[in-house]
Amino acid sequence: MRRLLLTAAATTAAALTLAACGTTEPAADKSEKKASEALTLKDGKGTEVKLDGPAKKVVATEWNVVESLVSLGVDPVGVADVKGYTTWDTSAPLKNEPKDIGTRGEPSMDTVASLAPDLIVATTDLPPAAVKQMREVAPVLEVKSADGTDQIGQMLDNVDLIAKATGTTDKAKTIRTDFEAKVAEGKKALTEAKMAGREIAFADGYVTSNQVSIRPYTATSLIGEVNEAIGLKNAWKMKGDEAYGLASTDVEGLTALPKDVQFAYIASDEDKNSTPFTGALTKNSVWKSLPFVKAGDVHRLNDGIWMFGGPRSMEAYIDSVVGALTK
Amino acid sequence: MAVTATKPAARPSTAPASRPGAAAVTAGLVLLVAVLAVVDITQGTAAVGPAEVFKALTGQARPDDASVVIASRLPRMTAGLLVGAVLGTAGAVLQAVSRNVLASPDTLAVNAGSYLALGLVGATGVSLPMIASSGVAFAGGLAAAAVVLGLSGLGTGTVRLVLAGTALMLGLNSMTEGLLLLFPEQTDGLYQWNQGSIAQNGFDGVLQMLPIALIGLVGLLLTARRVDALALGDDAARGLGVPVRATRVTVVVLAALLSAAAVTLAGPIGFVGLCAPALVRPLARRFRGFARSRTAMPAAALTGAALVLGSDVLLRTFVADDLSVAVPTGVVTSLVGAVFLVVMALRLKDTAGAGAPDRLRIPSRAVFLTTLAVLVAVLVGLVIAAVLVGDSKLLLGDVVNWAQGRAGRTVSFVLDTRVPRVLAALCAGAALALAGTLVQAVTRNPLAEPSVLGVSGGGALGAVVLVTTAPVAGTWGIAGAAFAGSAVTAVLVFGLAARGGFRQNRLVLVGIGVAAATTALISLLIVLTDPFNATKALTWLSGSTYGRTMPDIVPVALALVVGIGVALARRTELDLISLDEDTPRLLGLPLGPGRLGFLVLSVVLSSTAVACAGTIGFVGLVAPHAARALVGRRHVRVVPVALLLGATLVCTADLIGRTVIAPAQLGAGLMTAVIGTPYFLYLLVRSRR
Repeated sequence: MRRLLLTAAATTAAALTLAACGTTEPAADKSEKKASEALTLKDGKGTEVKLDGPAKKVVATEWNVVESLVSLGVDPVGVADVKGYTTWDTSAPLKNEPKDIGTRGEPSMDTVASLAPDLIVATTDLPPAAVKQMREVAPVLEVKSADGTDQIGQMLDNVDLIAKATGTTDKAKTIRTDFEAKVAEGKKALTEAKMAGREIAFADGYVTSNQVSIRPYTATSLIGEVNEAIGLKNAWKMKGDEAYGLASTDVEGLTALPKDVQFAYIASDEDKNSTPFTGALTKNSVWKSLPFVKAGDVHRLNDGIWMFGGPRSMEAYIDSVVGALTK
Repeated sequence: MAVTATKPAARPSTAPASRPGAAAVTAGLVLLVAVLAVVDITQGTAAVGPAEVFKALTGQARPDDASVVIASRLPRMTAGLLVGAVLGTAGAVLQAVSRNVLASPDTLAVNAGSYLALGLVGATGVSLPMIASSGVAFAGGLAAAAVVLGLSGLGTGTVRLVLAGTALMLGLNSMTEGLLLLFPEQTDGLYQWNQGSIAQNGFDGVLQMLPIALIGLVGLLLTARRVDALALGDDAARGLGVPVRATRVTVVVLAALLSAAAVTLAGPIGFVGLCAPALVRPLARRFRGFARSRTAMPAAALTGAALVLGSDVLLRTFVADDLSVAVPTGVVTSLVGAVFLVVMALRLKDTAGAGAPDRLRIPSRAVFLTTLAVLVAVLVGLVIAAVLVGDSKLLLGDVVNWAQGRAGRTVSFVLDTRVPRVLAALCAGAALALAGTLVQAVTRNPLAEPSVLGVSGGGALGAVVLVTTAPVAGTWGIAGAAFAGSAVTAVLVFGLAARGGFRQNRLVLVGIGVAAATTALISLLIVLTDPFNATKALTWLSGSTYGRTMPDIVPVALALVVGIGVALARRTELDLISLDEDTPRLLGLPLGPGRLGFLVLSVVLSSTAVACAGTIGFVGLVAPHAARALVGRRHVRVVPVALLLGATLVCTADLIGRTVIAPAQLGAGLMTAVIGTPYFLYLLVRSRR
């Protein structure tokens, strides 16, 4: 038995070695192409990123930067969790079929390298060790995903930064004006409908087993800031986390909301566990006894608006929330 | 064996004088549970305090306050009560029938089986009605228990039982964690649920689980007398006309049913099943009434309920409302349970001597050399495969080019990132295997292993503390923090267990307690500092070589070189120490310093491995056992074989984790357990013959 094993192991090793001979890529010839329009950028971490020229082959590790790229007219060659993006972010649908580079938390170095990109757009949420390795493949632009002190400003700055790196600054200007126009349009519609200054509570939630968790988007979250920008007041009193402005609560915690609050949420039909407000809660007597539930002030916004996305997502959000409140 | 001889000695329950004592204690427990329940109802995120609760209960409250009490507070309290009682009882009977203080729904893998079954259903995105999902959980839990009991043999050695249970639990939990990482959207919140939470959405769940729990509890009470008979030993029980096998099977099925009900209702709330009976056991010595299962079971149930409700109350008292929602109840029960477990372990009169050493044949030199040669060949093949295979497949010519520094851009990058990962896996695996070998030899405890004893967990805690407080920590900083964490836990565990000379159960109980506490503290730390990054916690806890570079491997490689040197130089001493207490003394060997040296070495080895690749459990447990089974117990043979096995195991795990679901990846630690479990169970089966 043991001898057999030994022979088998030796044969396998030999076979492996033989089969694995050869190369997949010719040895390097060390010919560097000189670019005419080299540029240097300062990214979200203050790191200087040098590019030979505007990047064309771009890999993105987070959905918000994917959205920015797509809205700037740059089709990324690699995207983390493509399926998730198509489910949760439909405001800027992918126009090409990018390669899936793995999870958003741990994108695969092998795949990124095999795409040989000019630029990798990552966020500051990625582990430093991973960023360090990616720098070996291509310049890495680390974008600050969220900033609790100025979410909208950060979002627009990110678009500008990515636009500079991809040579699409004209498009970035359009995105900024479009967004500002949409905010003004939303504000006007709400004022006309006499909804200006109304309190709003935006949340998402999920169900596991027999439990419902609710995640409030406080005033320092991106959605919270957009709400204020279109003239609504954020009703959540709790403090969110520093970067994203998110808090957590349960159904009881909703009793602290003002009586005349407008409650809005986003779910996904693709994901049954993310829709407690139409599912698990409909029979809950705490939920049913909430004044704003009784008054019918609960609004499900459109699916596919990524709550941590870019200007296109936020425009979709404004359309959806204004539509719901002025109905 | 003379059946009659054991009868008077082992039937302590025939002391009628202490009945009132037992009744008083039971009454006290009921009172405690009642007080905790009332306090629990007054706590929560809504502004509904004691006054409103009182009004609600007397029917004078405003309707919205009343609905909070009825739809949120009361269900939560009832769930806590039910889950605690059910787990306490299940633990008590499992310990009684297996005559093993370590048996519980956790260690028999019942919880893990249920959890995996539910995780699988969750990942498919199918939402089942509650009753159906509890059926799924029951099937999973029962299957796991059946495997454990089947493999370890009903009523045979307790160490085997716990070994098989722990192994299967690790394997199943790793698979579930893999699901969580693979389906982060579908299983959003499942990580939190993984820790267990008694919060409820209305009474529906409790009402549906209640009948199941009652069937289980009543069934167990009916078997109580037979369970008592089993406590006398199988032969004695048979002598009394008790069907041993049937009783065991019935009890295990009922206990699995109870655990499944608890898991469906609140997720796996750890430790209650292990702790509650452990807390009741000393009562049995003082009040004879509790020696009977019929009274001990309700006492364990009450203690379990008190543990769960107490943890919930504690959490909601000391943590701000909004945060307390995010902290899972199970984290707190683990912390509370861990402290209790350690205290109990110290007071435990450990009568169980060291388990009989594995009965092993002594293989010839040829067998040893062949094994070594096969392992080396396998490892070499594996390393080649690991370097070539990944998201992008390479060929040997690429590697040659790379080694000569003339590879193309893509190849050199792929190898620059892949080679350190392969090396990290090899070094971490070997280091953990060596650490396990040393600890098992020194403590003469087959269950002793850096991760079971909490040493790895302590290392991970140290590293996570540093990573969350100082984001720019470097390689040596993390290795240092991991070592500090490991050293503190090691001093704690070994220091506490040293009294009375590393007795089997005490060491493992203290170790399991500390290990659970470190896991809970890591979860707590992540929830409190970075609440929306469960992946970060999972990555740390599951062990991963993701993003490793060459400098990260230096500490573990150095530790490994020193470790191998010391282990081989002092192989004879290791042989003697692992034999028994007296032989080394007779030969004039000073036991203390030698033991301490080996322990320090194993702590260094496991902490550097943690710093390099996270907590990879299981290798330290499996590799030494497997090595002894293959080549006998002499350390000159065990050490090299264990090293090779450890390296092979982690390297395989890393390779599979990187490739099967590429471009997404699973941590090596998860894959280690998934691969290691079947092999370990196979070894258990084989050594039974």
